[in-house]
Amino acid sequence: MDLRLPSIPLRQTVELVSIDLPADQAEPLLERGVLPGCRICPVRSSPSGHAIVSVDGSLLALRRETAACLCVRLLTSLQEVG
Amino acid sequence: MASLALDSCGSCAEHRTKSLVRLGLSPDRWDYLIALAGNPNTGKSTVFNALTGLRQHTGNWPGKTVVRAEGAFEHDGKRVKIVDLPGTYSLQAGSVDEEVARDFVLFGRPDVTVVVVDATRLERNLNLVLQILEITDRVVVFLNLMDEARRHGVAVDPVRLEKELGVPVIPGVARQDSGIDELISAALDVAAGTRTTSPFRAGRYAPDVERAVVGLAPVVESVYPEVPNSRWVALRLLNADEAVQEAVRSGELGQLASGSQEAVHAPPPEADRQRLLDAATRWRWDLPTDFHDVVTQHSYDAAEEVAGRAQMTGLKRAGFAFDRKLDKALTSRVFGFPLMLLILAIVFWITIEGANVPSGMLATLLIGTVHPWLNGVAAAASVPWWLSGFVLDGVYLATAWVIAVMLPPMAIFFPVFTLLEDFGYLPRVAFNLDALFKKAGAHGKQALTMCMGFGCNAAGVVATRVIDSPRERLIAIITNNFSLCNGRWPTQILIATIFIGALAPASLGGLVSAAAVVGIALLGITMMFLSSWLLSRTVLRGEATSFSLELPPYRPPRILQTLYTSIIDRTLIVLWRAVVFAAPAGAVIWLIANISFGGESLAQHLVGWLNPVGLLLGLNGVILLAYVVAIPANEIVIPTVLMLTVLTGGLAGGSGAGVMFEADSVGATSELLRAGGWTLLTGVNLMLFSLLHNPCSTTIYTIFQETRSAKWTTLATALPLAMGFTVCFLVAQVWRLVAA
Ligand SMILES: Nc1nc2c(ncn2[C@@H]2O[C@H](COP(=O)(O)OP(=O)(O)OP(=O)(O)O)[C@@H](O)[C@H]2O)c(=O)[nH]1
Repeated sequence: MDLRLPSIPLRQTVELVSIDLPADQAEPLLERGVLPGCRICPVRSSPSGHAIVSVDGSLLALRRETAACLCVRLLTSLQEVG
Repeated sequence: MASLALDSCGSCAEHRTKSLVRLGLSPDRWDYLIALAGNPNTGKSTVFNALTGLRQHTGNWPGKTVVRAEGAFEHDGKRVKIVDLPGTYSLQAGSVDEEVARDFVLFGRPDVTVVVVDATRLERNLNLVLQILEITDRVVVFLNLMDEARRHGVAVDPVRLEKELGVPVIPGVARQDSGIDELISAALDVAAGTRTTSPFRAGRYAPDVERAVVGLAPVVESVYPEVPNSRWVALRLLNADEAVQEAVRSGELGQLASGSQEAVHAPPPEADRQRLLDAATRWRWDLPTDFHDVVTQHSYDAAEEVAGRAQMTGLKRAGFAFDRKLDKALTSRVFGFPLMLLILAIVFWITIEGANVPSGMLATLLIGTVHPWLNGVAAAASVPWWLSGFVLDGVYLATAWVIAVMLPPMAIFFPVFTLLEDFGYLPRVAFNLDALFKKAGAHGKQALTMCMGFGCNAAGVVATRVIDSPRERLIAIITNNFSLCNGRWPTQILIATIFIGALAPASLGGLVSAAAVVGIALLGITMMFLSSWLLSRTVLRGEATSFSLELPPYRPPRILQTLYTSIIDRTLIVLWRAVVFAAPAGAVIWLIANISFGGESLAQHLVGWLNPVGLLLGLNGVILLAYVVAIPANEIVIPTVLMLTVLTGGLAGGSGAGVMFEADSVGATSELLRAGGWTLLTGVNLMLFSLLHNPCSTTIYTIFQETRSAKWTTLATALPLAMGFTVCFLVAQVWRLVAA
């Protein structure tokens, strides 16, 4: 059960579990609010497979390989989905 | 700016102008030093401008402020110096920006650090605030963008946040000048020490890290009793932070602590300093391997906790519905690219069409009226011919031409471009182009520096500081010259009008010329990708680093202010530079046209020598010589070309040897060039060559400043030149084959 962000359909909010990147590459993501435990939602994707995700109210564009390093978890209970 | 802001609180602004005297640029002596820190794009520069009355460049994309800007103001008789630091997400000193910001907060000894915080993204911003609070307790938080927070339904409680952080928190809207007065008084109170703070400090770490910190902190205290937070110093030493280690080694750490400029502590004995460093090394052995992650996570957790308490919950985030819709179009798979081209074309079209009439008027005035009048005056005063020729026909005419041709398009292009920038369009361009950049092995942010290059390549080169990876930054620097800069448009526009627009029916001429210029600009972008790709496969080998780009919310641009600042900051500065370079070049042209040997002028000899090469390239000797003369400034290529054409072709026109002039109209210019043997091929190749040749002298110098390397500077200079020769040669050969 290793779910990665690119396999999440658009507009479905999930929770970030971990970032599978070396520390120096993960840092910029952390700083921009992409933290384990946060809610993350792919809002659009571009022809080249880029993902625009919404995190903490702001929009972030990620390269495909970067998105593929984000391990996520589906929100199960209704309450979690909010 | 106070005068422009329609502030509801007019009375405070009025009061402030009485007590607050803006001093503009930094004074030599000051009573208080304020550092301005914050995440990128939170409005630091806007706050800076509100405080100082200066017009530091603002724009809606993260990472504009790359160099430290300084300014000053006076308040109640106190002189205050203020330093605007580059926007950073943290103080880990991972990139040049972060290092500059961190070093200043740490070693610049500010009396107070003002942290500008984006109220709509509290949690992420608090991460930086907490890091700064670890270093110093003289902090004031400015909670900016409260208007946007309100609009988007984010409710932050400043009073609560102040309690949590233990330092003053001032809510405000920098763009409307609101909250600035309160910020000034809070900052000065903290600086003067009349308002004490009790900053939030991170609590205990995980046991194995905590043990090391608790073990090392007393050693820090014993060697440097004056540091405000020995735990932080201990942590940095455990982390092997070079700057902090160096500060311990040199004894500088003790100076930082006091904050005040005067108090100077004698450094502790060298043996003690060494003892501290040794202790740190010893403790480092016992640290868990994921030490760095533990610490990072710890600080994020703290930020989350504080943000959670200061933010009202239960409010539904009213989304950014408008933004989303607009983004859908501007970054869409289908429309993103065409829309980008369309916007680019519209900007050029407005520039070309709008600049025509004022350009003509300026030329008539400066060249048609003032120049003969000056000549008349010189003649009446019986000034020797060579002196009046040198000054009036050389220096004056070159300058006048540059003003007439460059001022109107710049005065239109810069404001329009700045409006787009303020609105937040540039990061979308970066997003659209990122896939291409990645394929080329370059950094996505190179799109931003490329856009800056459309204004001025030197500015684009400086802007590459937003790119962390040195390899990708070099690529961005070397290829910036492929962005058609402002000094080269007049050439593009004029030649496109004469040789390409003329092919179309008169009513469509303007449109066709604009399309041709866009075509050249696109070719430049293609060349940039191509050379980036080549570089990253050869001398600058490597893969593109992972990239994430923030798309800031669209913000309505401030029309009046944009007009004002872009005309003052960009237009006049670029124009001034052009004038400074054009004047001596005018003098050189006049000289080579008037020094003669063997019955011909030096210019005629040179053109004669260069002509065979020129023809091989589909150009001619005149154009090549003009490019040599115009190395200082691209802007003067066209007048030089015209002058040399008249001179060497023995054609009637102009007003004498070495007189730089503008033919009265585009029609006359066209006739002149055609009589000088120009064809459509010459025109097309001149447009190509104007795109693909070495950067101007200012840019070359800037590249050297940024890279500190003769090798890369040479490559950046030679690469486009080689490409230009190759492309022109090929086009000329194919053209002649097809024509024959
Ligand atoms: N709505 C609103 N916009 C603001 C406010 N303050 C600044 N802005 C806008 O936010 C954008 C960024 O402002 P800057 O002052 O350039 O930001 P900065 O923090 O200096 O940015 P960097 O140089 O990237 O660090 C600009 O478009 C400003 O006009 C505010 O209080 N309200």
